[in-house]
Amino acid sequence: MTKFHPELHLLTEYAAGDLPLAQSACVSAHMHYCDQCRRAVGQLQDLGGVLLEQLDPEPVGDAMLDAVLARLDEEPPLMYSQQSEEVAVSRTPAILRRLMSGDFSDLSWKKVSKALSISYLKTGDSGYEFALYHIKAGGRIPDHDHRGSEMTLILQGGFSDANGSYHVGDFIYRETDDTHAPTALQSEDCICLAVLDAPLKFTGWKHRWMNPFLRLQAG
Amino acid sequence: MTESTGGDKSSWDVPTGRRTDEWSECLTLIAEKQDRAAFTRFFRHFAPLIKAFALSGSTMSQMHADELVQEVMLKTWQKAKAFNPEKAAASTWVYTIARNCRTDMFRRLQKFDTPLAAEDFTPETDSEEPFSILQSKRSSDKIRELMAGLPTDQAQILAKVYMEGKSHAEAAAELDLPLGTVKSRVRLAIQKLHIQIERQ
Repeated sequence: MTKFHPELHLLTEYAAGDLPLAQSACVSAHMHYCDQCRRAVGQLQDLGGVLLEQLDPEPVGDAMLDAVLARLDEEPPLMYSQQSEEVAVSRTPAILRRLMSGDFSDLSWKKVSKALSISYLKTGDSGYEFALYHIKAGGRIPDHDHRGSEMTLILQGGFSDANGSYHVGDFIYRETDDTHAPTALQSEDCICLAVLDAPLKFTGWKHRWMNPFLRLQAG
Repeated sequence: MTESTGGDKSSWDVPTGRRTDEWSECLTLIAEKQDRAAFTRFFRHFAPLIKAFALSGSTMSQMHADELVQEVMLKTWQKAKAFNPEKAAASTWVYTIARNCRTDMFRRLQKFDTPLAAEDFTPETDSEEPFSILQSKRSSDKIRELMAGLPTDQAQILAKVYMEGKSHAEAAAELDLPLGTVKSRVRLAIQKLHIQIERQ
């Protein structure tokens, strides 16, 4: 049972499809561990469905209906296979398995300090750094402060900092540049996912290509 | 459940709890019989709503909006077998497909080089999740019913966040409101719609 969750606003933005890819992946990975957030997102999506139904319809001509009817016999892409049972019980969130080939031990880890190694995963979202941190049992991450937001999700083991101790599935979000120095629990190595927004990348992701005048500050 | 709330769209078969509304039935017919007449009814109802969804952000061209409508409708046909009427309303299901297709389209247009499709972000669920089923059965109808009582400023923010696909920060900038105001309107709206965020 996880104790630390994404707040309502993150869940809403997730359900509405508004989060940047990297952050959305982190929230999705949290839900792998958290029934409560899955249920909340289910209802937040119900809200999306109701809002969709209440839009003023835009006319769609019969030509488009005919065009779609003509395509119904196309082979559907293969991606729609149902999840198999054994996949559903895997320990690692599906979204991360899509980004890794093999297990944590198969990744290439970069040693940053005696206690900390980092492995960067490629999401395609250039606005965010998406990385796995491996902290040795009892090891301490050097002080760091980060200008911008930082999402952390614990995948294995746990760590503690001045605010509390965190275990598998716990989700921590920091928006401001407070310094913190997490220490892994003594009992086992800790692996966590960290999503940091790259400095000076604050533009709304959806609108960048479409409207150069719509430059919005996030946060 | 009274029949005053969603009219013909929200009736239930009480003993099994199975959805019997028109759009869920269409999806079942499509899944089981590849019923083109059912698909045509479904299309005539939902395609104009998807188009409105596509255009509500006002950043998508007419051409891309039409492309999105076709893509979403084709997916409803291809994926109808995955629709579980006990787990979600047809509108919720269509909404998530439309949302995912829109996200993928934006990423395509931005030339995102990503191995992930929007669909991959849906977390896996255990096949048995009885509590969630119980909840979501009523959720859509209840939300629809309560939506009428929502103050305009709250409804406006929800439309921006969900239909226009704006983050809270983007909505705040556009409406020239402090971010805190946008967040509190979203929170109030969600409370009024009785959406439960359980925390032990």
